[in-house]
Amino acid sequence: MAKYFDVIIVGAGPAGSMAALKLARAGLKVVMLERGRYPGSKNMFGGLLHNTLVLNEMLPSFWERAPLERHVYKKTLAFMTPTSSVSLTFETESFEQLPYNGYTVFRPSFDNWLAGEAVKEGALLLCNCAAEDLIQKDGQVVGVTVKGRDGELRSSIVIAADGVLSFMAKKAGLRRDFRAKDLGLGIKLLLGLPKETIDERFNLVRDEGADISLIGITEGLRGGGFLYTNYESISIGMVVHLDSFEAPGKNPYQVLDELLQHPHIRKLIKGAVPLEYSAHLISEGGIKAMPQVYTGGMMVVGDAAGLCYSNGINLEGINLAMTSGVLAAETAIQAIEAKDYSAQMLSLYRKKLDDSFIIKDMRTFKNAVDMMRIERLFQTYPQIVCSILEKMYRVEGIPRARIMKLSRKEALGKVKMRDLISDSIKVGRALL
Amino acid sequence: MIVDNLPQFTQFQIDEQPHIVLDKEICKSCDHHACVHSCPANCYTFNEETKRVDVVYETCLECGACHVICDKGAVNWSYPRGGYGVCFRLT
Repeated sequence: MAKYFDVIIVGAGPAGSMAALKLARAGLKVVMLERGRYPGSKNMFGGLLHNTLVLNEMLPSFWERAPLERHVYKKTLAFMTPTSSVSLTFETESFEQLPYNGYTVFRPSFDNWLAGEAVKEGALLLCNCAAEDLIQKDGQVVGVTVKGRDGELRSSIVIAADGVLSFMAKKAGLRRDFRAKDLGLGIKLLLGLPKETIDERFNLVRDEGADISLIGITEGLRGGGFLYTNYESISIGMVVHLDSFEAPGKNPYQVLDELLQHPHIRKLIKGAVPLEYSAHLISEGGIKAMPQVYTGGMMVVGDAAGLCYSNGINLEGINLAMTSGVLAAETAIQAIEAKDYSAQMLSLYRKKLDDSFIIKDMRTFKNAVDMMRIERLFQTYPQIVCSILEKMYRVEGIPRARIMKLSRKEALGKVKMRDLISDSIKVGRALL
Repeated sequence: MIVDNLPQFTQFQIDEQPHIVLDKEICKSCDHHACVHSCPANCYTFNEETKRVDVVYETCLECGACHVICDKGAVNWSYPRGGYGVCFRLT
């Protein structure tokens, strides 16, 4: 005997829980299937929950109740070589005002809290349930089966919020096989330090937090590092293009070790105690790598839909995920009212995505994917920047060159003019 | 700071059913063993002498890197049964 729901949501991450919250408030019978022992137990990210309109709207003043760490006050972009670094830090008092631009959070706490908000509104949460397969009838998705359990769950609509490796989207025929070139591997070590020590080392007060992006620390691999401050810990790690590991070389462990041993990082994490190590894949393929996001009886949201982008400056995913969850839920509500679960009806979800900042931003930065594949960006250019600065500052009693001449000499000593031009064009196409 | 054996800081609920099964015949003829150098949990080992690839699924962080990077179809990978596998507490 099958259990029936209006909507089954596979995955109780941020996208799934926001969808569940919206649907439960509309009075629909909705269930979330979570494969972990609790929501968030399988989830990790670098650490930053961005300001998200739908979260502020649906859970006003959520910051008073949600398990958050520090709000991000200070943003730093650092170019590093094994011995030097150049950084650009931006801080503004406007980041001190609510709603904050972002918070560092721990996903096991935050995701668990968010799913709980949906449960409070009447959504059912089934933990320890890994969706195994989709049930399809006449070309429409009508339910799911659960790994290791008998019986099946049936619904009018399934929302696949099952994360970056969305086996649900794959089983529905909505996406091609996962490809290493479209994915990044994120690894992170959480390091415990007393709050006062973090405040002092990063020059922070009260609940202020720092977000530091590190470029140039993944020697031989395409990727970047990150460092976020929590109240009493530091999240440090990196994201490396998965296909970088195809050629024999360093493994993720070694790159992380090197980062931890960098003389500038070592000072920041001195005396820290390792608390937890985690890893996850990330969509890096941009809009071109997105799967189809709907079919008859099913919609795909969040990471599962490849809604994630990075352009070297903005790294966004969780805000896109939560917003897409709400848009899919809105579509589901309309579909259920109309009793029409066809692909044509659910194509409304794609339209809503297109009209939102999600697809607009992913389109704006669609060329960033090519930029992020420039090998020189991750080693040669940080070296050039550092060596120019070193020559500018070093006092040696040797006649100096003007800045332009010095820069040209340093740059062309490490990159061919042809490559420099082609890389500049790529960066320009991506960002300017 | 050099941290040995990073997964010791992570909690696992170990299933007796492995969620990663290798087709070792295919692995023997593999020329790159990308699974070994992409795994963030060092679950994979390659023995040069025996040409054998082994995997320890118990400390798998469930990222799926091996599954995606293996272009030979040798890594039969799925999520563990509900409730089993890695269980992040803080991160």
